[in-house]
Amino acid sequence: MEGVRVGNRMIGTQSPVTVGWENLPRVEGGPIKRHFFTWFQPAALFALIAFWYYAPNSIATASTAIGIGIGFKALLLALEWVNPRHDSWRLTWKELVIDLFYVGLGFTILRMIDGYIGDGVMIEAIQGVFHWEKFAWFMGLPLLMQAFLISFIFDFGQYWMHRGMHNWYPLWLTHAPHHYITQLNINKGAVGNPVELFLIGLGVGGFFDFLPRAALIAGTLGLAVSTYQHINVRFNTPRWWRFLFNTTEHHSVHHSQDYEASRSNYSGTWIIIDRMFGTCVDGEAELLGMEGGRKMSIRETMTYPFTEGWKSVNARLGRRPIDPIAVPAE
Amino acid sequence: MTLRFIDWIWHVKGRLALAPGQTSDDAFTRLAPLFRQTGTSYERLKDRLTFQKKDQAAQDRMSIFDSGTLRIENGPHGSELHYRLVSRALLFCFLAAPLFLSFAGATIVIGQLQRPSVEAEKKPEKKDVVLPQNPIDKALGAPAPEKPKKDDKKKDEGPSPTPAYVFAGIFAVLYVVGRILEARLVKRLFQNSLRAT
Repeated sequence: MEGVRVGNRMIGTQSPVTVGWENLPRVEGGPIKRHFFTWFQPAALFALIAFWYYAPNSIATASTAIGIGIGFKALLLALEWVNPRHDSWRLTWKELVIDLFYVGLGFTILRMIDGYIGDGVMIEAIQGVFHWEKFAWFMGLPLLMQAFLISFIFDFGQYWMHRGMHNWYPLWLTHAPHHYITQLNINKGAVGNPVELFLIGLGVGGFFDFLPRAALIAGTLGLAVSTYQHINVRFNTPRWWRFLFNTTEHHSVHHSQDYEASRSNYSGTWIIIDRMFGTCVDGEAELLGMEGGRKMSIRETMTYPFTEGWKSVNARLGRRPIDPIAVPAE
Repeated sequence: MTLRFIDWIWHVKGRLALAPGQTSDDAFTRLAPLFRQTGTSYERLKDRLTFQKKDQAAQDRMSIFDSGTLRIENGPHGSELHYRLVSRALLFCFLAAPLFLSFAGATIVIGQLQRPSVEAEKKPEKKDVVLPQNPIDKALGAPAPEKPKKDDKKKDEGPSPTPAYVFAGIFAVLYVVGRILEARLVKRLFQNSLRAT
């Protein structure tokens, strides 16, 4: 494959990647369908922001946010059914079961462990010794500015954690299982080794829980923007949106079977961070995964970082040749 | 212990009548494309086909199954395709419900164990302070900010087992749906393949 030059890199030499917005297909169908899938994303985002901006304090709570999150994802699952981006990404019963298993782990056992050793503990410790009077200037900023800063600072941290996972072998071992998914659906963001889910969850987002409304609006940016990373829906995403925000298209490039393409689009919400650091590739890919699209079982997903890590340690000690599969992403 | 009373959990069995005059050779030739998939190996011996799948792609139309046997037998009304397919995904989904119930149990036990220590850690309440609000937000009608209330009651109760119960229920429903749906889908898949021109 020839590939396309993007900056200093050749994208799509190993697996097909469409580069450039002008080369991507548009939503097909009648005017109502095209209108809906053109305006759905910005309408949902602004409606959710307006809700959290004006909701009474008694309603603007984390439990409301969880309820809205579940409802919104159920709606997006229905949209996957109505207007799939690729037929090869259609959600099957087996894929739904596997995805929900990882979602379930996140809501139960991982959340419990996170409560003892995760960022919640660290944030509580920091908050305990912090002088809140010094933060009064932040609380005096306009609400939307507070929300933007919380979201952007959190995503900036996630960007470097994610980029680190693609560049540093021990972190890559935890992230690699997530790259064995061969299609994007609503719950695919939860698929991966629990160690990675723990690491990627580490961040300063929870640090701002003393600003509940701003934190909830920031969370809404995650829900109404970041969720579209993993979704099988074709949208006519507005130009300003895809310039600022991460999209399905960007994230499909990141999950491409093409090695160079997979080393792009690291941010979760603000793709502009990738633009700042020269890692953004605008385009899309349909063929996703690793090792030619080999599916990784749940058992292997759970053990991969440890078994591959053990093999690597043995190889370094000269006991056994290294398995070529375990070569880090960069 | 024999598994034949419980193997319906992860086995899908069925049969299909072949078209009049259709030979086993022709039937297996038509079915063969289903087994020419990444991660699938199969072997054909006369009237029998056995297959194995490993790390099958999500796009494989038989990805739910990991192994199986297809046989052509002569019945009273002509030749029939008999199949017996093994699905670890069905077994996994069946077991996921009790797994999440055990998570719920573990959550309750851990909550009970940590309750005394949480009560001991109760801190004196701080004075309420007025939080600043930007004039723009005030002018636009956003509610005045309140200091977030620590939900002490909830904290005392420890982590909630409710999500684990919900997921146990989801997997129980998904199992029933999958057991019925996938059996029908594979039967239709074989039927369409056998009749394909």
